[in-house]
This record gives sequence, C-alpha cells and structure tokens, in this order.
Amino acid sequence: MSWALSNASMLGHLTGQNAYLALVPVLIGLLISLPLGIVSARWGWLYPPVLTVTSVLYALPALALFVVLIDYTGLTDTTVMIPLVIYSLAVLFPSVVDGLRSVPEPVRQAAVAMGFGTWRRLATVELPIATPIVIAGLRIACVSSISLVSVGQLIGTGGLGYLFIDGEQRDFPTEIVVGIVLIVALALVTDTVLVLARRWLTPWQRGAAATATTRRATVRAELRVRPGPGGI
Amino acid sequence: MITFDSVTKRYPGGTVAVDELYLEVPAGQTMVLVGPSGCGKTTSLRMINRMIDPSGGRILLDGKDIQQSNPAMLRRGIGYVIQQAGLFPHRTIEDNIATVPLLTGWSKPKARERARELMDLVGLDAQMARRYPHQLSGGQQQRVGVARALAADPPVLLMDEPFSAVDPIVRASLQDELLRLQGELHKTVVLVTHDIEEAIKVGDQVAIFRPGGKLVQVDTPQRLLAAPIDDYVEDFLGFDRGIRRLSFLAADALDLETDTVVRADTQAAAALAKAREAGAQWILVIDSERLPQGWIATGSLESMPGDATLAGAGLKRYGHTFRADTDSLRAALDATVLSPTGQAVGVDEAGRVVGVTSYDRLRAAIQRADESDQPRQSDQPRQSGQPGQETVLSS
Repeated sequence: MSWALSNASMLGHLTGQNAYLALVPVLIGLLISLPLGIVSARWGWLYPPVLTVTSVLYALPALALFVVLIDYTGLTDTTVMIPLVIYSLAVLFPSVVDGLRSVPEPVRQAAVAMGFGTWRRLATVELPIATPIVIAGLRIACVSSISLVSVGQLIGTGGLGYLFIDGEQRDFPTEIVVGIVLIVALALVTDTVLVLARRWLTPWQRGAAATATTRRATVRAELRVRPGPGGI
Repeated sequence: MITFDSVTKRYPGGTVAVDELYLEVPAGQTMVLVGPSGCGKTTSLRMINRMIDPSGGRILLDGKDIQQSNPAMLRRGIGYVIQQAGLFPHRTIEDNIATVPLLTGWSKPKARERARELMDLVGLDAQMARRYPHQLSGGQQQRVGVARALAADPPVLLMDEPFSAVDPIVRASLQDELLRLQGELHKTVVLVTHDIEEAIKVGDQVAIFRPGGKLVQVDTPQRLLAAPIDDYVEDFLGFDRGIRRLSFLAADALDLETDTVVRADTQAAAALAKAREAGAQWILVIDSERLPQGWIATGSLESMPGDATLAGAGLKRYGHTFRADTDSLRAALDATVLSPTGQAVGVDEAGRVVGVTSYDRLRAAIQRADESDQPRQSDQPRQSGQPGQETVLSS
C-alpha cells in the first residue's frame, strides 16, 4: 500500500495510458462497425462473410500481429492499438447487426408508412432502438480491451502491463498485485460509465423496461464473450 | 376518393398477389378488404401508400396517380395503423402520436399539444402522455396507433388488421371506437381484416377477395348478407347470415300489435273479448303509465270473474323488451325468441309499450324490408371499371 502511495504519480500515468490504449481502439472499432453493421443489416447476405472475416481476425495472435506491424509502425502506440481495433471489431460488428435486427418489423414498417426517409429512419428510429444491444457489445469490448493492453508491454507500451514485467523482474509481487487491482478498477469504472450512458440514452428501458426481444438479444450479445483473442 | 384502375401485382417468381383490381373507395367511407390469407388484401392496401408498387394499372388518389408522388410525402398525408400498433418503443406516447406533425416541421410544443388533443379523442388518459409504449396494454397501444395515424389530420386512413392482436372484448370496444370516430371525422378508411364479422360491423362497404388476388364482390354489408354473388362469398359469410342480416334492418319496419295490450284496470270480461276478437292466446297487461306488467293467457281470463280487474291476476313475466324505434329487427327477433309467449314487447325511449311482436309480424316486416331494399340494386349497378359508382367488380 505504501509502495502504491509513494508511486501514485507513476501509477496514475500508467492507468491513464492503459485507458487511452484500450478505449481509443474500441472507439475506432465502433466507428468501423456502425457503417459495416448498417450495410450488413440492410443487405443480409453480406453478414455471414463479413462476420467470418471479423471472427478469423479475432483468432490472430497479438504477438504475431506485433511482429508484422513493427515493420510498418515501429514500437509505437499504434502497433499496440491496431490489434485491439481488430478485436473490438469482432465483438462490436455483430452487436450492431443484432441491435438493428432487434427493431421489430411492425415498428420498421410503421416508420416507413409514416413517411420517414431511409436516413432519418436509421438515425431516429433504428439506431436508438439498437442502442442497448450496441452498448452491451461495447461493455465487453471495453473490458477485454483494457485487460489486453498489458500484452503491449511485449513491445514496451503496455500501460499497467509495465507493472507485471517490472514486478516479475524485481521479484516484487506487490507491484503485480497493484497492477491487477488497477486494471480491474479501470474496467469497473469504464463499465459503470457505459451502464450509466445506457440508462441516460435509453430512458424507455428504465425500471421493468427491457422488452422481451431486446432482453434476449442483449443476453445473446453478452454470451458472445469468447475465450481471449489470438490465443491470449 | 381512392381508385384502383386495373391494378395488378405480380412478383418476379410469377406469383400474382393482386389480379386486375378495379375498386373505388368513396371519400368519407369505410371500405373493408376481407379474405383469407394470400388473397391480396394487404398487398392492395400497401399499394395505396406505395409501400408496394403495382406491376400494372394505376391507383388514383382524388384523381391523381400516386406513382407521380414522392413516396415519403405521399405517406405523410395518409394515416397508417398497423397490426400490433408498431409504436416506437423509444418514444413516449405523446411523441409517438406527434411523429408525423414533427416530420412535417411542426414545432415541438404545437405537436405535443396536438398529441394531447388526439389522446382525448381516442379515449386515452392524459396521464399516459409521458409513458412509454411497453407500459400500456395492447388495447391502449392500439388506440395510440390510431391517434398517431390521425395526428396530421390526413384525409385517408389505412388500417392493416388493426385489431387482430387484441382479445375479443378489447377488439369489440376498439371497433366501436372506430365507428364513433368515423362518425365524427369522416375519413376515407381502407381497413384490411380476415374477420368477416369485423368487416360487416365496421364497413360501409365490404370487398371480398379470394386467393389469387381476385376481388369477388363489393357491396354494403347488408347487401352482401342478403345477396352473396356466389358460393364462395356465401361460404365466406358463414353460418346464419340470414339472421345476421336482420341487424341492418330497422325494427320500425314492424307493424306492432296493439289490440292485445290492455291496462291493468280493465275488467277480465272486456280483456277476454279483446283477445277473442284478435284471436290471441296472450294479453299484455300495462299500467297507467303504459309500462309493461306481464302476460296473461286467455285461458286464465276465462276462469276469472268477469268483473274482476287484471291488477290482481297472476302475470307471466314479460322478458326482454326492444326499442321499437331504434333497435334492429335482429333485436326484435331475439326478444321474441326469448319471450315465454313467443311475442316480444316493443317499447319507446321511456320504456312505455308501443306494441307487441309475433312471428307473423316479424316475417311480414322482413319481407317489407327486403322489398324496399330491392330497388336500391339499380342504384348500384355492378359493372367493371366505371368510375363514379360505388360498387365495382373485377372480372
């Protein structure tokens, strides 16, 4: 404990770096998943091949990706973040598609019949209804990304992962324990923020809210947690 | 007015959903499209707001070909009520109802005010304005669906099996509500259902379709029940259409018997004389206010002292009455069948006796109603594809 206090500034810096390295890739993953998901929900035949690609990418070992990427991006943050973007994509892309598919057919038809154009319908009806399921995917992507960042320590940029290597080399278990606690804490804080964001964004789901379909689809998204990507 | 002019919908696989449809929906009336699944009724409905485009023929809305209109703009002028309401789960009730006004650029306060008006119109408590759809019952959701469709005050309202997802009691009250609303608003309504009872209840006219997208007959419910054009329509109308048809005939066609109605202070001998003169088995006793008291058999009158009044005599209960001025012949027949004497008591607004029925008088009234109905046939000739007529048939 006293070690942690006396190194608070370093720990704060590492935690911030860990959050940055983990969450920026999730954000980028979301920005890629949204158009990809929208297109795949609209033209259903696209979904299986795209899903296969994102799933296969998920299986690539991070270490192998680093080896390849170092030639292009060097020992930088980018090299750590690219694999994380790929892993986020594998979780978020199916969430976006599931979310859009959770829009009940009568609701979609009613929107068409009321005179919504395609984009307006997407922005004001379909995406809002998809939000709970997309956020369920985001929670998984964020939490796994936060813990995966430590692998980046293999190339010297691993956020809190530094504490594991350093603790191991100095044979100082306290450092390792503090690293684990901080990663878990960061994951919990991020998750809490996402839960609050969902509550704020989906006021219709408060209380006994979630409709049966949404709940089922959310559970499906949450069940899609797989064993760690790339053999980690 | 909506006009289907030789409208066909053929899908790429060769399936014909709608086959050469000619149909006119007069402005301000309710046209019900009815038939089994796969008969093209829903396809026909959805062609009106271009959710489906026809592969042949034209649809005119007030004389204007809808293919010339921008679909989104066209739809904002046509109310649409879908099965299971199709409410937006993420919007409050008032915002659901305000959807089309907001789309067409109303300010939010004005649109919400309009939403409150409509909630009142369809019988929804104002407290529900801020709730979400899942917090409402199926029947309430469907009311919201109707309110949402009416929000921008469109002249045309399309209803796609609007009441099929609710239980029979709620369905009946929603149907009554629709009739009440239509009495106030006079929209041009096209309603699709597979329930012939619903069609007969809410339709000014009913169009019966048969699988393969063929329109078989269009007529008023009353004419359909009286004169189905073929065996298919007759089968589709179902059991006891003869009785159901009487719902559309007014009981005021009845020539009610008044000679056998006597006041309680009449002497038995006088009552008996009246009964014999009329050849009646039963006499209806009324009080000084003409309210019914009960039946007495002529046999009982014979065994009474001639100078006794009927006031003290044992009377048989008079059973159900019907309103002679406003009820249908079906109500009169029903009361007659249920009556212990085979005669039913027709009353006025205040419950005072107007006269009594008999099976003979009912039969005569039905005959008269039928005869007076006949000439109307020539007002509504059945012909193909000529605009200006209410009743138009496909080949």
